[in-house]
Amino acid sequence: MLLFARSERAALLTLALVVAFPIACGFRTYPLFIATQFAVFAMVALSLDVLMGRSGQISLGHAGFFALGAYAAAILSVRYDVDLLVGVIAGAALAALGSLIVGLPATRLSGHYLGIVTLGFGVAVAQIALKWTALTNGDEGVHTHAIHLAGTVLSSPLHVYAVVFVALGAVTAFVARLPRTRLGRAFGAVRDSEIAAAAMGISVARTKVLAFVISAAIAGGAGALYAALTGFVAPEDFGIGQSLLFFAMVVVGGTASTAGTLLGALVLEGVSQAAATVGGLSLTLIGAAIVGVALFRPAGLKSLWRGGEGSR
Amino acid sequence: MLRCSGVTMRFGGLVPLDGVDLHVPERGLFLVVGPNGAGKTTLLNVISRLVTPAAGSVRFADRDLLALEPSALLDAGIARSFQKAELFVGLSALDNVLVGLDHRHLPERAARVRAIGMLEALGLGGVAHVAAGTLSHGYQKLVDLARALVSEPKLLLLDEPLAGVTAAEIPTLLAAIRDAARERAVLMIEHHLELVLDLAERVTVLDFGRTISEGPPEAVRRDPAVIRSYLGGKAVEHAW
Amino acid sequence: MEILPQIVLSGLAQGSLYALAALGIVLIFNAGGVVNFAQGAMAVVTAYVTWALLNGAHVPYPLAVALALCAAFALGMATEMLVLRRVADAQPLTQIVVTLGLLMLLTGLVGMIFGHDPRSLPELVTLPSVALGPVILVPSDVFDVAVLIVLVVGLMVLLRKTKLGLGMRALGQDLFAARLAGISLTRVLSLTWGIGVALAGTAGILAVPNTTLTPTTMDTLVIYGFVAAVFGGFGTVSGAIVGGLLLGVVDNLIKTYLSPELSLSVVFALLLLALYLRPNGLFGRAVVRKV
Repeated sequence: MLLFARSERAALLTLALVVAFPIACGFRTYPLFIATQFAVFAMVALSLDVLMGRSGQISLGHAGFFALGAYAAAILSVRYDVDLLVGVIAGAALAALGSLIVGLPATRLSGHYLGIVTLGFGVAVAQIALKWTALTNGDEGVHTHAIHLAGTVLSSPLHVYAVVFVALGAVTAFVARLPRTRLGRAFGAVRDSEIAAAAMGISVARTKVLAFVISAAIAGGAGALYAALTGFVAPEDFGIGQSLLFFAMVVVGGTASTAGTLLGALVLEGVSQAAATVGGLSLTLIGAAIVGVALFRPAGLKSLWRGGEGSR
Repeated sequence: MLRCSGVTMRFGGLVPLDGVDLHVPERGLFLVVGPNGAGKTTLLNVISRLVTPAAGSVRFADRDLLALEPSALLDAGIARSFQKAELFVGLSALDNVLVGLDHRHLPERAARVRAIGMLEALGLGGVAHVAAGTLSHGYQKLVDLARALVSEPKLLLLDEPLAGVTAAEIPTLLAAIRDAARERAVLMIEHHLELVLDLAERVTVLDFGRTISEGPPEAVRRDPAVIRSYLGGKAVEHAW
Repeated sequence: MEILPQIVLSGLAQGSLYALAALGIVLIFNAGGVVNFAQGAMAVVTAYVTWALLNGAHVPYPLAVALALCAAFALGMATEMLVLRRVADAQPLTQIVVTLGLLMLLTGLVGMIFGHDPRSLPELVTLPSVALGPVILVPSDVFDVAVLIVLVVGLMVLLRKTKLGLGMRALGQDLFAARLAGISLTRVLSLTWGIGVALAGTAGILAVPNTTLTPTTMDTLVIYGFVAAVFGGFGTVSGAIVGGLLLGVVDNLIKTYLSPELSLSVVFALLLLALYLRPNGLFGRAVVRKV
């Protein structure tokens, strides 16, 4: 079976572009950092598309799951000097656990209710991170130890870059393959008709929670990698703005499309970086982009290469 | 095999089902007819566990259906189609049919072979990879039927399978339903009586939530209660 | 224990603002089925317009407030006419997307125009506090509650006694009756957006003196507004008011007895609990979908 359908080849192209970018810049530190940060954010965007595009739910608080993973990995690194792999697994596990908090009520909620609940979740996580100083060091943040993976210290940005891109590749492969699995079909069934899904023997509640758990676990794992990348985790990185940025990446790219989401992440991260010097400019541009997409191109960037087929 | 006794449903002041009895043996086509609002779809929803009746029992193969979750029905051998198709519009036609088979936990390859066979049998081979939401209404109804049939249920519930289907697509659908009824029980709601009445083993006529007539088609057709209540004026005459 | 009545009292004052925010959200939701996630950003815009009129144009404070509320009303109407109307028939997700986009757009614009340094607005009423038995009445608190009462009464009269109100109720329930009465529902919807955003703007202006004004100040206020609306079942005016006042008191109790910083997290936990036990809100009813 093909790993990527024809319509998903754009995903590979997007990835290749970003991998090539630091190489073209001669592996200087800043381009490497930017590219790696994009890869981390792209993983979160992909995880959010599993929830939104594939299973038809919504999260306006994905930075919360991202934060849980980042803090879990950073704190484990500082206190116990654990391997990055352990950090990633712990981050994914903590985020998955956290997702049950919103995922369980989510089985009985939809649309705007779920939007409000997840928004509140994201804010609550950031607030707890700010106030639980004994654990998180408050707004001073947590500085990680030297990051090591399988006995090797990741001493240069190039190492982290390599690790993160391998992870992004794995997440992309998983997400792209999902629609062609039993689980992915169950997600789509629940998204499109809960009544028919139940009649086909699918437990709607369990499927919805599972989508939350998988999505959060990926976001949490990405959070752990983010901690490894920046070497520093603080509450300000995980506010509403960050959650909305992830949301915007999926919407602008086009839901239920791996390649669209990757491209959306690339474009919006590009906008954020380019407009970072003027306060409020990137938020204005991203907001305008979202409104524009909703009004004029509801299918998002994926409509650039994909017509009616499988689109939604 | 399916036995409903005294099924009663209440919504506020309405009583969509009022002590309905129904018996469906193991094979053949069984028809439920009646004017709009007679309680037909509600009866189907009770059997497929979308709603729970206020009173009465529903038993299938000696199991109490009312004790089951809706998602347990397919495992029990009961599949259904929907009046408005209720397809998974973002999935391909093939994936829709695969969802109908997924509860069996077959290997992916075997499941695909079987689902494609099902689609081809209904003349849908050419649209297997098209998003279900973009198909014509008639094709959607066919995919809905394929999705329900692919798991080879013991009891197939069909809610107006011919509604909105074009004349050209009707023979395929009718043939598929007739074939299906050879190997299993098919309980069908349908308004196009001229097309389906003679295919049915037995007919139950509902009106205002009650059974007003029950028996083989020719007996029901002559039942004065039916003629009075359901057929009324001449307008419906040609439907028979 | 003497402090308890005081906590309840100032909780009610804070709750009045939540109730106003919730009212704005619920009015708009009832009329068009859209949850306006940009409500907070629109309240921020209103507060900044007030600030600019006050400090830039040196307009008297009451007039500045009145003009800013007119601007809020216009912003609400324009949002409906220029943006939401175009996605009226789209999926619910698209409508959520649009209002979130507006949230970012407006927050970003405010930041670009006014910068991110904290601003402030003076109290609207500056009278000395009055000791009344065991409690101290803070005039601005009393004013908050008074504003809520006046606006709710006004809203009731509007809903019950005017053609516009009939149209607003009709949008939520039975379109047919309103068509018979010859009301242009499109216009009613835009006007409802105007009123809803003006209510949010009122809450915003009243809230600023107690905190500082930055482009993201209102995020919290509006999340509380959402929570109040959800507590009230997301559909009734009375539910929004009761939900808002209740939330204000509960929030104040948490702040005093548990932790001032974690109140939002605790409130969020209460929201989850409430939703889990009563998915349609404390006063809501279940909706059955037909096949």
